[in-house]
Amino acid sequence: MISQFFVLSQRGDNIVFRDYRGEVQKGSAEIFFRKVKFWKGDEAEEAPPVFNVDGVNYIHVKVAGLLFVATTRVNVSPSLVLELLQRIARVIKDYLGVLNEDSLRKNFVLVYELLDEVIDFGYPQTTSTEVLKSYVFNEPIMVDAARIPPLGPAAMFMQGTKRMPGTAVTKSVVANEPGGRKRDEIFVDVIEKISVTFSSSGYILTSEVDGTIQMKSYLSGNPEIRVALNEDLSIGRSGASVYDYRSSAGGAVILDDCNFHESVHLDSFDMDRTLTLIPPDGEFAVMNYRMTQEFKPPFRVNALIEEAGPSKAEVILKVRADFSPSVTANTIAVQMPVPTYTTRVSFELEPGAVGQMTDFKEGMKRLEWCLKKIVGGSEHTLRAKLTFSQESHGNLTREAGPVNMNFTIPMYNASRLQVRYLQIAKKSKTYQPYRWVRYVTQANSYVARL
Amino acid sequence: MSGHDSKYFSTTKKGEIPELKDELNSQYKDKRKDAVKKVIAAMTVGKDVSSLFTDVVNCMQTENLELKKLVYLYLINYAKSQPDLAILAVNTFVKDSQDPNPLIRALAVRTMGCIRVDKITEYLCDPLQRCLKDDDPYVRKTAAICVAKLYDINAELVEDRGFLESLKDLISDNNPMVVANAVAALAEIQECSTAPIFEITSHTLSKLLTALNECTEWGQVFILDALSRYKASDAREAENIVERVTPRLQHANCAVVLSAVKMILQQMELITSTDVVRNLCKKMAPPLVTLLSAEPEIQYVALRNINLIVQKRPTILAHEIKVFFCKYNDPIYVKMEKLEIMIKLASDRNIDQVLLEFKEYATEVDVDFVRKAVRAIGRCAIKLERAAERCISVLLELIKIKVNYVVQEAIIVIKDIFRRYPNTYESIIATLCESLDTLDEPEAKASMIWIIGEYAERIDNADELLESFLESFPEEPALVQLQLLTATVKLFLKKPTEGPQQMIQAVLNNATVETDNPDLRDRAYIYWRLLSTDPEAAKDVVLAEKPVISDDSNQLDPSLLDELLANIATLSSVYHKPPDAFVSRAKAAPRPDDDEYPDGAETGYSESPSHAVDGAPAPSSTSTVPHTSTRYPVPAPAPAPSPAAPMPDLLGDLVGLDNAIVPVDQPATPPSGAPLPVLLPSSTGQGLQISAQLMRREGQIFYGLLFENNSQAVLDGFMIQFNKNTFGLAAAGPLQVPPLQPGASARTLLPMVLFQNVSPGPPTSVLQVAVKNNQQPVWYFSDKISLHVFFVEDGRMERANFLETWKSLPDSNEVSKDLTNCVVNSIDATVEHLAASNVFFLAKRRNANKEILYLSAKIPRGIPFLIELTVVIGVPGVKCAVKTPSPELAPLFFEAMETLLK
Repeated sequence: MISQFFVLSQRGDNIVFRDYRGEVQKGSAEIFFRKVKFWKGDEAEEAPPVFNVDGVNYIHVKVAGLLFVATTRVNVSPSLVLELLQRIARVIKDYLGVLNEDSLRKNFVLVYELLDEVIDFGYPQTTSTEVLKSYVFNEPIMVDAARIPPLGPAAMFMQGTKRMPGTAVTKSVVANEPGGRKRDEIFVDVIEKISVTFSSSGYILTSEVDGTIQMKSYLSGNPEIRVALNEDLSIGRSGASVYDYRSSAGGAVILDDCNFHESVHLDSFDMDRTLTLIPPDGEFAVMNYRMTQEFKPPFRVNALIEEAGPSKAEVILKVRADFSPSVTANTIAVQMPVPTYTTRVSFELEPGAVGQMTDFKEGMKRLEWCLKKIVGGSEHTLRAKLTFSQESHGNLTREAGPVNMNFTIPMYNASRLQVRYLQIAKKSKTYQPYRWVRYVTQANSYVARL
Repeated sequence: MSGHDSKYFSTTKKGEIPELKDELNSQYKDKRKDAVKKVIAAMTVGKDVSSLFTDVVNCMQTENLELKKLVYLYLINYAKSQPDLAILAVNTFVKDSQDPNPLIRALAVRTMGCIRVDKITEYLCDPLQRCLKDDDPYVRKTAAICVAKLYDINAELVEDRGFLESLKDLISDNNPMVVANAVAALAEIQECSTAPIFEITSHTLSKLLTALNECTEWGQVFILDALSRYKASDAREAENIVERVTPRLQHANCAVVLSAVKMILQQMELITSTDVVRNLCKKMAPPLVTLLSAEPEIQYVALRNINLIVQKRPTILAHEIKVFFCKYNDPIYVKMEKLEIMIKLASDRNIDQVLLEFKEYATEVDVDFVRKAVRAIGRCAIKLERAAERCISVLLELIKIKVNYVVQEAIIVIKDIFRRYPNTYESIIATLCESLDTLDEPEAKASMIWIIGEYAERIDNADELLESFLESFPEEPALVQLQLLTATVKLFLKKPTEGPQQMIQAVLNNATVETDNPDLRDRAYIYWRLLSTDPEAAKDVVLAEKPVISDDSNQLDPSLLDELLANIATLSSVYHKPPDAFVSRAKAAPRPDDDEYPDGAETGYSESPSHAVDGAPAPSSTSTVPHTSTRYPVPAPAPAPSPAAPMPDLLGDLVGLDNAIVPVDQPATPPSGAPLPVLLPSSTGQGLQISAQLMRREGQIFYGLLFENNSQAVLDGFMIQFNKNTFGLAAAGPLQVPPLQPGASARTLLPMVLFQNVSPGPPTSVLQVAVKNNQQPVWYFSDKISLHVFFVEDGRMERANFLETWKSLPDSNEVSKDLTNCVVNSIDATVEHLAASNVFFLAKRRNANKEILYLSAKIPRGIPFLIELTVVIGVPGVKCAVKTPSPELAPLFFEAMETLLK
């Protein structure tokens, strides 16, 4: 089992260090950081999450810019340790409201108290915030919320994890509001990350939705909740139906696979697609799902690169938003690698463009186009003239691209999976907790090949 | 509470310690609590606050749980350095362990278990005993883990005080959390002990399977991992187990899913119905794919595991290749693993799609990834004959982009393609030759030179091309020199004109006189002699037809694969190494003084870190064709040169296994779980440690050896010799041990033969062994031959035959002995166990409370042993009588039986 647990800042400072078994030397954090920082002696190389140095196994994840690390000498289950590290991050975030170096340092006593309950002698005991509440007595000290960057969808990117702890709420699940009583509310977020690869002719090569229904409950008295999903939802494609296009025409939602949080009762799921649960405190994924059924990609991307003279070329990037005008995508970034011998790029935006930015990242030989907003149904174009230091090899499409796109679309989901209703068992007639059901779609790997 | 904890980190100008001392002794509770927090803050940043020990301990007696926890935290940290003072805390601990508040009781045992001070340990026993039977499950689950803590400090104490039994009782606890911790504790204790402590019977199995449904996710993993050691008795039981475990595949926790997959895969081995197996494969696919939607770190672990799974059961994911296509934002370590799996899943059906992907990847930014993508194309060409042409056209397309490292990588793989499909694709040679000047990597150069030599008769200016390389002959790396030598000889044999003749003179001269490399020199001399005595023979040798190669790179040896599959969902399955290759046996050795862990303390194992993750970008270790003879193509009959550069450990290990004389279908690794006894400790062997044991595997006798190099130097050139012995045991082939880097180790199975150099005289079990290497003096050590490795598979006797033989032998041939250390607990288990070692059961009868068993065994040259065992179930002491034509072997036979029955 794990021997030590520690949290390092990006600079390698020790923020938290707990030794559970005393069998790994004390300097392990330093050895780890040096190894990760210069993997294969190269600062650009990214170290794998599991490696062994001198008989000590180091297992780590990156959460919110921090390194969560465990060491061990034995042949443990690495997926257990990785999940545990993620879960510790989540529990700490549940308690502290925000997870960063500052909040950890301000609450180190509480964090140690948590760590003692979460792990004993290297064995995970519980990572449920709900259960931990009965054993942990320190109260969190909130960090100044004003100093936290706004937690818009952009901040989700900074979290750097896929299941995204902290969608929108930055209050602690245990601390009381300044006003005294806690506000009764519950957040249900349907978060989808989509991956699409377009071929050079615009044909969809692969498409996939990774979705999560995430819940964060601040309800008092732990009432039972029912979450109803699309009635015609089905799970598991049967053999050949992968390429069954009938379903894409507004029919049933077919998930490839899904899994549920342990608190979820599936008694009536087969009947009417409702999930019943008593939500534990803290943030958790009610359901994770995966879909490869064909869906309409929110953006069409067209990219063209053409020779325009002896050592010149022209790039045309076109983005069309294929969704309803009532929906607006934000923080859009389009990137395209250009031939390595590109020396200069001049951009030409469409007339009257607002909130757009272009840049040529010379070091990475990449051009970037950022748009603050794209309204559904609109189309945007960028022209760029490239100057080369040499003549091209006559195969520009091999040397440039692919185009990659990042975006966030609030109140939109690609899979059409819906929360039909969210029912909270009533304690009294006056009990009217706030219910928030939100949808957001983000690009995971949204690529158009040249 | 007011203010921030971080204020405790602020330092004061004057003496911090005296100030804290004052505050700790303050009469106000809050002030004391604040002071302890400050102390802890100082401790966590690494300041020495041990001098405050007494003052902090004084704060321990408090009702305030928050403060108590802080003091305990301090105690855990400093008790080791202040053992005498730690005793002061014992009374409070013992008192707390009887507190009415279950949280305080649990806290007390939890903390006491963490204080590794002998004197405290003594006082721990009574509270622990009580807490194991506590009414509160929180206390019981804490106590269960505490038993493992205590075992780590003092195993004897745990055994003597009956804690193991209490722990086993907890398996039946009604609280699943307690069950899970008891299982975890027992599994850990079993891990460090050779005695059977935690054996899973069908009874415990069913109890644990029930607990599984109610446990927390972590508990589920403990239980699944413990159960994976269970061997079902038949297909039916296996199916039942699988049925109970399958719902775990739906769990949101990836660790649960992987542990469940491991368990299912293991039971599947026993399931005979193809329908059931196919169904299970179908069920496992979606959850496995879903793992790839998790965080990249988990994806990496999942991919390394999937890599193993598809080698064993390719059908599971055969239709899912798309999910392994690389995403734009995948970390490089994920991309590399996906590529490897794509190659494994590539088939005639999906190759067009796959090639399209590879082509994209080959133009990406990351150099290692691009190289691997190019290599992947080549590997697909070798694997799929019908797709070879398409692969080649993609490679040619890539060469035209003229990115240097792409071109070089492409040439390396094209060489392999030429070898795989001779006389098929030579038309592209001209295109390759255009890139000749840009080659600067040894492997690419060597490959190009090989191509020129191999097809010299079709390349008009082959002599000019080779000549351009010859100018720099002395400066080239050995790899290139060897190729140049062979290619020039080929050229000369194919075109014996004046130009080549001069070239061959120059090369042979260079390679014999001007070099220090023995491989190069020897090869040059052989060619020289061949050419000067019989050019026709030279032709037969150098231009001989080469054996066909296949894409077996990154394909694991079947026995290693099986071992790794048994270790799915562990680090072993991520490193693709058996556990004993990286788990240091710190446990077995006496602990060094706890507080000090000097860096050099763990000399038992150290791995060259860059190979921590094989399969990751290390071009040399992911070679397309691992056999030296194909990597450095040489005419078949000529001796294959051993590569001059020291190989990386990993490759070394694999090559060591590959090249072992053992036929391929033989297991090439010793069984897992049974560590070999150390015969030459590293203290005697100047840092070299040798562990070895004779073993029987599938009808053959092997000498399993483990070499560990704890010295500072590279050790190579290992050889082994056996002294004359009773059975004439000798090595059947040379010892295959790769050069050992400092800190590295290697395992090997040396096949043995019998009756080679039999020593006369009365039989003894002594086996004297000598091992030498190039760096050290010859080491002699002595091993013990256990007769049971000679028991042959066909030693079963028919009843009639048994009786007849028994009667035919004179009574003087009957010897008997009391094996006092043996005990038989179950006849069936013993019979099964003995049968596994080729001692076969014939009949049994009962006499009063005694069971009398008749068995037979046979050793080579047809010497039978007729055995009569008299046992009382559960009572130590087994009477063993044996009748055999060679009664002089009886003492050895009894020793063997004693080993088997223990």
